[in-house]
Amino acid sequence: MNTPTSLIALLIFPAGLTLVLTGMFYEWADRKLVARFQNRVGPRWFQPFADMVKLLTKEQITPALSNRFLFIGLPIVAISGALTAALYVPLMGLAPAHSFPGDLIVTVYLLSLLTMCMGLAGWNTGGRFSLVGATRTLTQMFAYEAPFLLALLGPALAAGSWQINIINDYARDHLFAISQPIGFIVALIGLMGKLELPPFDAPEAETEIVAGALTEYSGRGLAMFKVGKSIELIVGITLVSAFYLGGLHGILPFLLKTFAVLFLMTVLQSLLTRLRIDQTVGMWWRFGTVLVLAQILFTILLKGGLL
Amino acid sequence: MNTEQNLQTADLLLAPWKKETAQPETNRLDVSIAANQLRQAVSALHNARWGYLSAITGTDLGPAAGQMEALYHFCNGAAITTLKIQLPRTDSAVLPTIEDIIPPATFFERELHEMLGFKFKAAKSNERLFIPDDWPEDVFPLRQDFSIEQAKPVEGRQAVEVPEAGRVGDSTFVVPIGPQHPALKEPGHFEFTVDGEIVTAARMRLGYAHRGIEKAAESRNWIQNLYLFERVCGICSHTHALAYSLGVEKLAQVEVSPRAQAIRELVAGLERIHSHLLWLGVAAHEAGFDTLFMYSWRDRETVMNLLEQITGNRVNYSANVLGGVKCEIGPEQAKAIKEGLNYLEPRINHYLGVVTTDTMFLNRTRGIGTISCEEAEEFGLLGPTARASGMLRDVRVEAPYGAYKQFPVSGVTETNGDLEARCVVRLKELLVTCFAIRAIIDNLPTGPLTVRVPRKIPAGETISRVEAPRGELLYYIKSNGTEHPARVHIRTPSLCNWVSVLEKAVGRQLADVPMLIAGMDPCFSCNDRLITTVDAARGRKTWSWTQLREHGIEYYKR
Repeated sequence: MNTPTSLIALLIFPAGLTLVLTGMFYEWADRKLVARFQNRVGPRWFQPFADMVKLLTKEQITPALSNRFLFIGLPIVAISGALTAALYVPLMGLAPAHSFPGDLIVTVYLLSLLTMCMGLAGWNTGGRFSLVGATRTLTQMFAYEAPFLLALLGPALAAGSWQINIINDYARDHLFAISQPIGFIVALIGLMGKLELPPFDAPEAETEIVAGALTEYSGRGLAMFKVGKSIELIVGITLVSAFYLGGLHGILPFLLKTFAVLFLMTVLQSLLTRLRIDQTVGMWWRFGTVLVLAQILFTILLKGGLL
Repeated sequence: MNTEQNLQTADLLLAPWKKETAQPETNRLDVSIAANQLRQAVSALHNARWGYLSAITGTDLGPAAGQMEALYHFCNGAAITTLKIQLPRTDSAVLPTIEDIIPPATFFERELHEMLGFKFKAAKSNERLFIPDDWPEDVFPLRQDFSIEQAKPVEGRQAVEVPEAGRVGDSTFVVPIGPQHPALKEPGHFEFTVDGEIVTAARMRLGYAHRGIEKAAESRNWIQNLYLFERVCGICSHTHALAYSLGVEKLAQVEVSPRAQAIRELVAGLERIHSHLLWLGVAAHEAGFDTLFMYSWRDRETVMNLLEQITGNRVNYSANVLGGVKCEIGPEQAKAIKEGLNYLEPRINHYLGVVTTDTMFLNRTRGIGTISCEEAEEFGLLGPTARASGMLRDVRVEAPYGAYKQFPVSGVTETNGDLEARCVVRLKELLVTCFAIRAIIDNLPTGPLTVRVPRKIPAGETISRVEAPRGELLYYIKSNGTEHPARVHIRTPSLCNWVSVLEKAVGRQLADVPMLIAGMDPCFSCNDRLITTVDAARGRKTWSWTQLREHGIEYYKR
């Protein structure tokens, strides 16, 4: 691996700039679709980009009570986590930039890094809304994280590997959305929980706690969290569609399948009312986890030839 | 029981304490009592369940008379009994508090204290509720000898630090909501002490939208005031103007034509549709159901356009004039209204289906903030909030005014008393309203639109009650025979419903609080009417329009 190509791979394509722009495009598609469902006009195609440019030009205010080092550092860690996670997934239907056995687990936890950073950031700023928001962010993380990972393990177990690349290839001949429907639904809804989209937007419920954990963030820090979120959106969608919708090979299947997932997510976002945090946790542990465990048990039994 | 019997009962109940009685109007009974016997008299009415305390009006009779009056209005159907207490305009104007007997009286008593300087013996709290924290002590804006020079803000005066109520341990802290907060569409301030997610105590502070309207009314003539009162509220502007017009017409003994009355009811009906659809959107937004919010506000545009077509305005319609209305319902308007209703009725039915069957929305409304019928009576709730608890409090039904005798509406009640019931009551009420509007259009009486009202209104006083979209709106109007009113007191429905929020928030999750606040459909600009704006930072009391403009230009130059 020589240095110039690595640098290009890291900064421009497939990671870095391309990823940021694609993430923004998906964010726009999400906002536009929800707006159309709600009978609104919705943002123009460059709106997320314009938002970020605006945020980058704004002053960043550091709250007096916060630890300055953490306040500036956390968004950087968050965005790095999301960008690194992107290296292991088949973006644009291309082979992942890096791949090693067990990278599925690493990817999922790199994605959680963003959520953890948001929780920490909320705790660090010390504002009252931020504190309630941070508590809710972390509580919610403990609710969806296990079922989401378990839902991704279903196809992994069937493929016999914990390497995203191999599962992606295996999925080409196996449409897991049909054979493991519960896992697909849980993965889809888990992704919405991970991205704090309605109905799991209690951590940033504006009518109660303004902007939740990120209330005190402005300027660059906020921009980085937002971009991190966009990247998490695209990485998450890629992961779920690669596993459950017959793998991602080539740019056209990639676009079709990821948009199918995005479309489903926007429909759910428009249809559902925000859950209270206790309802979210209750739902995940009472139904999500139990169902997906049953699914996994079934897969293991089937795989072992016991059924 | 009819009105006369009701008044006789009240007369009998109050017999032990009455000093003198008068009957200013056929449905009213004024009973003068002594201040130290107030509690017994109030208890007598309260224990006999004679109506409810609707408002306490304070009036300054002027330095010459040296007296102030406190009027406790109790309403029972169309009958109104007023307990009248006269006290000297000095520090000895002390009344016993009745907030332990009737909880909503707290707000009325605070208003009397802050605006007129009545003192209340043994009141729970002396925090300021309406006037600014830096307002000087012992300056009472509704006194007749008040001058704006007295209202110099006191540098550094702050609200009394209240120990955090409801503190459980180190894990509790106060979540402030307002005056600026995304949950509030208008400024108010709430402090919710939370232990994790559970609310352990609640406090509130009003007055951020005070505009000094009651005081301003005293220096404007009767006609100017119509437009002033229309601006008390941006959502129910018509009902305010209507209550005022009905009161003034009663004082002037002018008979308004049935056609004008019918058109008034029609506009009030359209206003109710717009208000309730707006409320539905806000409630859905608080619950995090933005799709319902967007759709209900889209449909609300239909009725806004109708109002614009009929009156020429979308917000302050000014359909009323003293002695009638100024807009005509011709065949063209009638057709447009019918088409609008044809569109809206299926939509309202659809929303009724959504709020009663959508599982996710019901998660946030069913069984939350439940107020039983007994509690509703104790809290003194009004309007749809009371009706959702099974208590029929609707002036249109209990004491029909204007055209409601000819085109009656049926009262809608629900029994559950939770947030779901409040949604259902409001939506069902819209269907009833649509029905009434159709009846009016089909049988519009003939007659002139306006009749002449004299410039000087004969001396006297009256109480005018109207059902606003949020509940009973009460206007107390007093004339001394000149071109200006001597005193106009407004009691808006939101003020009475606050108790329910503060009581019901404790013990609930923080996530339910915005829903609880929205559930009673609060209207802050209705609550806050009375103070001249004071700019504390710059030390200048009132800013002229030119000064404001110059300040704005200077501000943005920087």
